[in-house]
Amino acid sequence: MSTGTAEVRDEVVEVCDGRISLHVKVAGEGPPVVFFHPLPGLEWQPLLDRLAEQHTVYAPEHPGTTPGDPQAIREVHTMWELLLAYEEAFRALGLDRPSVVGMSFGGMVAADLASSFPQALSRLVLMSPIGLWRDDAPIRLVEMITGPPEELPRYLFKYPESEAARALMALPDDPDQVPTAIAQGAWNVGCTTKFAWPIADHGLARRLHRIAVPTLVLWGRDDALVPAVYAEEFARRIEGSHVEVVDDCGHAMQGDQPEQTFSLVTDFLR
Amino acid sequence: MKVSLFEQVPYRYLPAGFEDRYSSVVTTPYFDLVEPERMQESLQSGYAEMLHAARAGFDGVCVTEHSQSTYDISPNPNLMAAAVAYGTRAEGLDTAITVLGRSLGKSREPLKVAEEYALLDNISGGRLIAGFPVGLSYDANQNGAIPAIETRERYNEHRELILKAWAEPEPFAWNGRFEKYGQVNLWPRPIQQPHPPIWIPGSGSPGTLVDILRRDYAFVYLSWSGPKLVGRQVFDRYWEFAEKQGRDRNPYRLAFLQVVAVSETDASAEKEYAPHLEAHYRAGLGTVPVSGFAVPGYAEPVGIEHMIRNPGDLGMLAKMRNITYKEIVDTQVAIVGSPATVADQIEEMVRDFRIGNLLVMLQNGSMPRELTEKNISLFAEQVLPRLRPIWDEEGWENHWWPRGAEARSAVAVSGAAAGGEAR
Repeated sequence: MSTGTAEVRDEVVEVCDGRISLHVKVAGEGPPVVFFHPLPGLEWQPLLDRLAEQHTVYAPEHPGTTPGDPQAIREVHTMWELLLAYEEAFRALGLDRPSVVGMSFGGMVAADLASSFPQALSRLVLMSPIGLWRDDAPIRLVEMITGPPEELPRYLFKYPESEAARALMALPDDPDQVPTAIAQGAWNVGCTTKFAWPIADHGLARRLHRIAVPTLVLWGRDDALVPAVYAEEFARRIEGSHVEVVDDCGHAMQGDQPEQTFSLVTDFLR
Repeated sequence: MKVSLFEQVPYRYLPAGFEDRYSSVVTTPYFDLVEPERMQESLQSGYAEMLHAARAGFDGVCVTEHSQSTYDISPNPNLMAAAVAYGTRAEGLDTAITVLGRSLGKSREPLKVAEEYALLDNISGGRLIAGFPVGLSYDANQNGAIPAIETRERYNEHRELILKAWAEPEPFAWNGRFEKYGQVNLWPRPIQQPHPPIWIPGSGSPGTLVDILRRDYAFVYLSWSGPKLVGRQVFDRYWEFAEKQGRDRNPYRLAFLQVVAVSETDASAEKEYAPHLEAHYRAGLGTVPVSGFAVPGYAEPVGIEHMIRNPGDLGMLAKMRNITYKEIVDTQVAIVGSPATVADQIEEMVRDFRIGNLLVMLQNGSMPRELTEKNISLFAEQVLPRLRPIWDEEGWENHWWPRGAEARSAVAVSGAAAGGEAR
């Protein structure tokens, strides 16, 4: 995998009684941080390089999103089974109460994991997570995914033309690789939306009170996908949590306000 | 050769320029676009045209399921099929009724599908052909809210459950992944045991074709993309797979949908039908968003990559929004002309691809009832008699035709042979 600064290696752990070979990208040295990726799959990105400067980063690939193993998603039937798979993976990797960072879809996974297994982690960062629902603040997930591709950046970024945003949306330079990348990207979204379609509400609101670790809730004030009102919805259910709403920032915070976002995350985990 | 009328039920009064402003599915604003009286008329015309076709001598009629669409307002095709089943029976017409059908990838109540089909088979006196479609992605995944990646798995389980529910004599428990029942024991059961003929529509992907052939069902290719562009590869692949699976070359294994518009002369056909055909494709299929055919997860990654690398597989589908009449007829997206022109083109295609069950779509978009019924009558009187005997000399038996409709075909065939009259 090409990276900015960190050397990234691939670890494979068998979970779900051997039915799934979970691929985990690992980089850096230091106290462990687990990163749960958003809907389109794992993209090794500058936030992870930054975390790897002071931590060992473990970034699992959601079942089915690992190239060459698309059918692994068939072995995860429910959200509950997904959480069990990750809890098993923590133990298989020898992770003793790591910090956990989750982004968007990965934020929902991280929050539900922390609610279901409160002893499995030590700190939690939720970056504009899905997982709750308010009728007066609908999350436009279906509209984004079924809408015209050219409108996608407007859901994700306040500044879709910024260098950071364009880098996050980039397709391969080699034209022959583009169809493969598009097909993989679409499949990845199929694998993640399996647990988010059409509304990503698995009753998380009724479990969040179980979270028992220091928690940082991050949001972009101008989030066009998951409105920033959800920051307070998470915070008021997680005792002692801290909220930061970043100005001039959309859903993909690492694209719109990279420096501020990186600092907030790394400072909290330090 | 068996020929059925394929009827979709569009709203016939979409405004000009619809395709520049709207999508034809999921998000189309109802109250902005629809006049209630015209909706009633559009829907009632569809039922009337099906009965007209049955009276005119068609071997069968065929209906499909689509929710939240402008081009086929048919949230449950079994409602239409029930009306036609009873109406034809009351008039002594033993027309086959193909429901093509309840989407099993979308359905959340598969046993309802089993019960409805069984009921139809009884009302019709064994004239049902049971269609088992997966369902289009927009319908299953957007309208039906099924996670796209589960569509095919649900389809497989539901089909298995329905087949068992139709034939199993004792009440049984079903512990499926998606459905759980303690005691399944349907009333009624289909007259045609263990099941009515099964037709499976598909886009021609290898996995679907092998599944159909292995189980000895009939494959239905519902393509609006132009047989000249896509027919060769799909049908050649089908017959090649049939050979590999050890199946014979019985043409009745294959059903194909063709849009047809027939008038007294080629010139009058163009004059009467061209505006309706153009408007139909532009505003109907032309405005289904690309994602509507493949919400992420609906198609396997190899399938998507193949589609991107081989855009020709889509035929005219990609450019329906701006399609012209000339393109429609050149690619045979529709076959249009005098009875002789139409019969010549259909016969050539049918023989070439070995199509035993033909579905003809004779109403499109804005076409009014009078013009549609003229199309139906002319087709029945002057085209159908030329098509019926096409496979007779090869002597195949149509195992994919309902037993309750067999007698009618014999009458129709002898009638056609005697005097060119369908009935």
